[in-house]
Amino acid sequence: MTSTTTPPTTRPGSPGEAAFPTDYTARTPTQVWFRLYRHHLRLLRNAAIAWICGLTLVSVGVVTTYEDRYTTPEELALFAEMEGIPAFEAMLGRFVQLTTVEGATLSRWGMFSILAAVWGMLAGARLLRRAEERGHLELLRAGVVSPRGLTASAMAALATTHALFAVAVGTSHTAAGMDPATSWALGGSMALLTASFATAGVLASHLATSYRRAVGLVGGLLGVLLGLRLLAAASVTPEWVWWTTPFGWVGYLHPADAAWPAVFGALSALLVVLVGMAVALARRDLDAGWIGGAADEPSFAPRPLAGHRSLAVRLTGAGLRTWAAIIGLVTLAFGLLARDFSEAVADLPTMVELGDQLGWVGIDTAEGIVAFTFSIVALLLAVFAAGQVASIREEEATWRIEHLLVRPLGRVRWLVTRVLVAAVGAVLLAAVAAAIVWGSTAIVGTPITIGDALAAGANTVPVAWAALGVGIAVFGFAPRLATPITYGLVVTAYLVDFVGGVLELPDAVLDLSPFRQLAAVPAQSPDVLPLLTMLAVGAIGVAIGVARFRHRDLQEA
Amino acid sequence: MATTPVIRFDDTTKRFGDVTALDALRLDVRQGEIVGLLGPNGAGKTTALRTLLGLVKPTSGSAQILGVDAWRDPVRAHGHLAYIPGDVSVWPELTGERILDLLGATWGGYDQAYRVDLVERFNFDPSKKGRSYSKGNRQKISIIAALMTRAPVLVMDEPTSGLDPLMEATFQDALREAKARGQTILMSSHILSEVEAVCDRVAVLRQGRLVENGTLEDLRHLQATVVEATYTGTPPRVDALPGIEDVTVGAGVIRLQVRGSTDPLIKALAAAEVHTLQVREPSLEELFHAYYDEATEPAGT
Ligand SMILES: Nc1ncnc2c1ncn2[C@@H]1O[C@H](COP(=O)(O)OP(=O)(O)OP(=O)(O)O)[C@@H](O)[C@H]1O
Ligand SMILES: [Mg+2]
Repeated sequence: MTSTTTPPTTRPGSPGEAAFPTDYTARTPTQVWFRLYRHHLRLLRNAAIAWICGLTLVSVGVVTTYEDRYTTPEELALFAEMEGIPAFEAMLGRFVQLTTVEGATLSRWGMFSILAAVWGMLAGARLLRRAEERGHLELLRAGVVSPRGLTASAMAALATTHALFAVAVGTSHTAAGMDPATSWALGGSMALLTASFATAGVLASHLATSYRRAVGLVGGLLGVLLGLRLLAAASVTPEWVWWTTPFGWVGYLHPADAAWPAVFGALSALLVVLVGMAVALARRDLDAGWIGGAADEPSFAPRPLAGHRSLAVRLTGAGLRTWAAIIGLVTLAFGLLARDFSEAVADLPTMVELGDQLGWVGIDTAEGIVAFTFSIVALLLAVFAAGQVASIREEEATWRIEHLLVRPLGRVRWLVTRVLVAAVGAVLLAAVAAAIVWGSTAIVGTPITIGDALAAGANTVPVAWAALGVGIAVFGFAPRLATPITYGLVVTAYLVDFVGGVLELPDAVLDLSPFRQLAAVPAQSPDVLPLLTMLAVGAIGVAIGVARFRHRDLQEA
Repeated sequence: MATTPVIRFDDTTKRFGDVTALDALRLDVRQGEIVGLLGPNGAGKTTALRTLLGLVKPTSGSAQILGVDAWRDPVRAHGHLAYIPGDVSVWPELTGERILDLLGATWGGYDQAYRVDLVERFNFDPSKKGRSYSKGNRQKISIIAALMTRAPVLVMDEPTSGLDPLMEATFQDALREAKARGQTILMSSHILSEVEAVCDRVAVLRQGRLVENGTLEDLRHLQATVVEATYTGTPPRVDALPGIEDVTVGAGVIRLQVRGSTDPLIKALAAAEVHTLQVREPSLEELFHAYYDEATEPAGT
């Protein structure tokens, strides 16, 4: 520390103090920085382990089962034909040599990379904006550290988890038999991609004034970048469009492209820019953000709250608009491309067969593409439902619920109201999807009937309700686990459907996934038994959860 | 002998949109002083302290700790101080022990023996998880964390809110020790008895402006003296006398406040055949009611 000419600047040796205490531990700013780094790492630890293990294991599963699975020439030929089919690339990212173990594995990362990005985004926003919202950053910023130093320590901790991610993917895939260069290129680029989104989460924490808004900002960016990948997949767009989005860059990792240095370069450049911006914007007022100060927060409540019902509607409604936009964009894109996709597939009879095997029924028709679209809508609705469980839990975790429950409002009424509003929200989102698919397919001249569109939408709603029911049941018994378990189950169920067949999981396990159970409406007619099962799961889950919630203690965060 | 003040607010102004939370605050705190920052809710106390720490950027002017502007150079400024925030919120998943480790380390180091001593004196159980602490216990965490650093400057935002009376006394003892060691303290408070017990000086904020600044003695002298008399004669005519306020007349009782010389009043009372006479300084509550009241009725007397 620089000396000043003023009164006591060093600690124990203040006037009146006889001697320096012997066990005074002083910390230099560098030591403080490392202490903060360790603190952040500790906060990240559990989630990072879960994400790294989950993503790595599923992908290694693809590598190890590949050898025994795709060996016959017919199968390989079929696989080869999938390349260049826009519908699949739109969903999965760029395909290269699917007949090689590298190609088969990398193609799965078209989906896994989205999950990795979500992990990064949430980790970054939690570490800074969530902590600030909860008042923890005030204590840390009062320490011997600058706001930029604090942000840097958080980003360093995030980077450490991503480095571990790279190592986990690199070593495990090499050990499982994938070409080492490709394994490490995959690990490194996914770590860079995750780090970029984590840094975007940190940056959004400095821009937005709440955790919800920060996640909304990065989520919006994620949507746009995925939209660009969708565009790149369309047959009419030139090859370079893939290079407009990081999700396109990671499609160039196959040894056949020999492009991993370019991928690394592009991702590193993106990361450096984001890190620079995050550090530059870190020096700001506590509890404020660069976009909209705390002063304009109250504008959220323009109308007076009539009661707990309108509060429930407002809390759900805030997220509903964002979800409607996301689902609207996805369904619009697929609706507009339905004709292209189905006609391209129609030229490849083997493709149709393969699609059937994967549960994508009749993808040589507009109905088949619409059914495929609604399988994605089902996932989005389930994530929406998990978000509603998280929002309900948040009311308790922050103790805001206290304000409501001290009024003459029973716990049962409160919880049931929130669940009903969330359930209706899922119906509205499905209706939006149906309307947009109906309209957009009509525009491109492969109309499906309004009845078919509505049936497809209605078919997805029970998945969301089931997720809601399971989530509320967990909320009843283990409120602190409700959010992670519900999100975890939704993602796991989707992954089981997505790669379960490849991993040769037993049918008993596969059948547990509601996504696998869904009939391909409108290409098929709805399958009543699974739908009834999901409705039952939802209803029973809510009933159990509500009953338990009524009798348990409230638990804060 | 002009020493640099330990804390200096130099025309510090902070606006949040249209709200002027702090309006050209000028205030110095010298070494070894304990200064109390008073004022009604929303007066700008928290804002002043946050500006001093560089947690928010002053709209104009500056605030310095030992000559260092915390917005410009937080690392150096924070090396001199420890802080107790207004709303103490701790990490739910860390134990009290870990939280004290973390805060001690990030606030520049701490005296381990003193920490053990404080934990004992505040009767604090550090083995529990953050989420299980009551409000008072959360408050104790940040009090212990701040005191154990032995930082030359302590900045505290309502440090005793939530403490029980016994702990409040322990806290006041700890402050006196800190003062004896030469530590400088700036604290906001709503508890006037606490301010009276420990502060050398008070500064009163109202709507972001400094409206009073001095020792309690000084403030008392500025204020009116309370006079209560019972009489047997004709009611005294005091309304026209200089410096007389707040007169209430009952059956044979008169109560009023007088500012400045009491001589004319005594003469007027003498004519009324005074039976008993009570003259006292206003209590702290009476002293400060004026400042607080006027905030709610800006046009008031
Ligand atoms: N982040 C912020 N955004 C907008 N306005 C703010 C912000 N922080 C404080 N204010 C406003 O500034 C003014 C001063 O607030 P401050 O918190 O400093 O008051 P205070 O004296 O600490 O009050 P209390 O006694 O209630 O703690 C208030 O009008 C408050 O509404
Ligand atoms: Mg305050």
